[in-house]
Amino acid sequence: MRLGMVIDLKRCMACYGCQMSCKTEHGTPPGIFFARVLKREEGTYPSNRMIFLPVLCNHCEDAPCVDVCPTEASHYAEHGIVDIDHDKCVGCHSCMVACPYTNRYFRDEKQHYFGAAGPTPYEVARSDRHPEGVVMKCNFCRPRLAEGKLPACVDNCAALARTFGDLDDPNSAVSRLIKERGGFTLHPEAGTGPNVYYLAP
Amino acid sequence: MDTQRYNQLISDLRSDYRPQREWGEGKGLLMVVGHFLVGIAGGAWLLGTLYGSAWTLVLAFVLGGLGGLVHLAFLGHPERAVGMMRHWRTSWVSRGFVGLSLFLLGGVLYLPGQFVALGAAGPALNLIGGVMAMLGALTIIGYMGFAYTASKAIPFWNSPLHPALYVAYALRGGIAALLIVGAVKGGVPAETLLKLWIGVTAVVGLFFIMELQGAATGGNVAAKQSVHEILNGRVSMVFYGGTLIVGLAVPALLLATSHAASAAVMALIGIASAAGDFFMKLSTVRAGVYLPLVIPARHHRRA
Repeated sequence: MRLGMVIDLKRCMACYGCQMSCKTEHGTPPGIFFARVLKREEGTYPSNRMIFLPVLCNHCEDAPCVDVCPTEASHYAEHGIVDIDHDKCVGCHSCMVACPYTNRYFRDEKQHYFGAAGPTPYEVARSDRHPEGVVMKCNFCRPRLAEGKLPACVDNCAALARTFGDLDDPNSAVSRLIKERGGFTLHPEAGTGPNVYYLAP
Repeated sequence: MDTQRYNQLISDLRSDYRPQREWGEGKGLLMVVGHFLVGIAGGAWLLGTLYGSAWTLVLAFVLGGLGGLVHLAFLGHPERAVGMMRHWRTSWVSRGFVGLSLFLLGGVLYLPGQFVALGAAGPALNLIGGVMAMLGALTIIGYMGFAYTASKAIPFWNSPLHPALYVAYALRGGIAALLIVGAVKGGVPAETLLKLWIGVTAVVGLFFIMELQGAATGGNVAAKQSVHEILNGRVSMVFYGGTLIVGLAVPALLLATSHAASAAVMALIGIASAAGDFFMKLSTVRAGVYLPLVIPARHHRRA
């Protein structure tokens, strides 16, 4: 089984629901976004439009972050998920400069959204558990998957733009979408074999 | 993360060409300093052995030790550093850590025998320590360039010329160390070293020009942006002031105007050359920009 995600850019309306639900689920500290949405204006008036591109860790089959990690903290977990063992991470940042998708973040110190006011009860409950001095990233919500749930960004996508499933199963929804609608990956030239696919806008 | 850095990160994430700030800015500056010190250490050990200069070997060992400490200070969790030996099969950072450990251990075994008689154990310690230190020196000379080349996110670094450039930097640093030691302690062939400095500097310059030219003409948009950052962007002052003026023009002027290789001239050339290498590494590292995340053109729908 190889878990992967398909994001339909025709459906995505850049509501930031994925970004917010991810932040809520993981309680990621300020400056750390396991999922985010890129917006870019393309063309010139009157033929201009906004392009939306939701991004997250691509859980590559040949992940450069795993190769360069000196401590094996970045590793392949079950079903092709790329995860970080925070107890092994030394915080050398080499995985961050190796990831062509720039979806890794370094947590250098304890930080809160409201500065001098101190942490909110939510931050105490959710954010403070994250260790400092390590790199963080999306892990396809492994704890949710273990409970039989979908990743938070998939479950909370209001436009149903995200589909999650087994890329090795030719009959799965993700495989069919990729085949029928010509799914593509970002930076295929990097040769990393991403498991996150996109459908053209 | 303070407000200023948070705002900078958000601004970076929104920009078309996100500058890499992991290595080279803030605490990341320690990474460049570490690479600079370790590079000189490797080159100095190699050339110190070649020219039989025991004091250059001492300087190499001290710089290697300092470089190691600076590297540790850069890490988020230095107490876990021993674990960095784990993944040497694929990680150049891991190989560098192994190499530096080998170099320092070898140096501890080898150096005492250069200054005092160690008795019956002397020859064995010299042999084992010498081999370990030389293997470590060769590894640390080589690993840095490969560590950058393995960074697929930064196309400017992801060049086959980068390792060769870092080897050439290490040799230039080694010559600089020999010149400085020669100025203080004597016993090095100054004229030969200065000729060698000119030759290696020419090679460094050639490699660097080739790398810039390759990135500017054959590279992708991020590589081209990095070239722009060096020549006309946010790191151009470091490049022109540090690399070209301090690292190249000052030593060249000293060479051209000094008739004899005096101790002061040798020391000044060595210091300026080493400083230039530092600024060259700094500008190359800071010029790195991440590959932009865009939808491939063939998948765009017409507006």
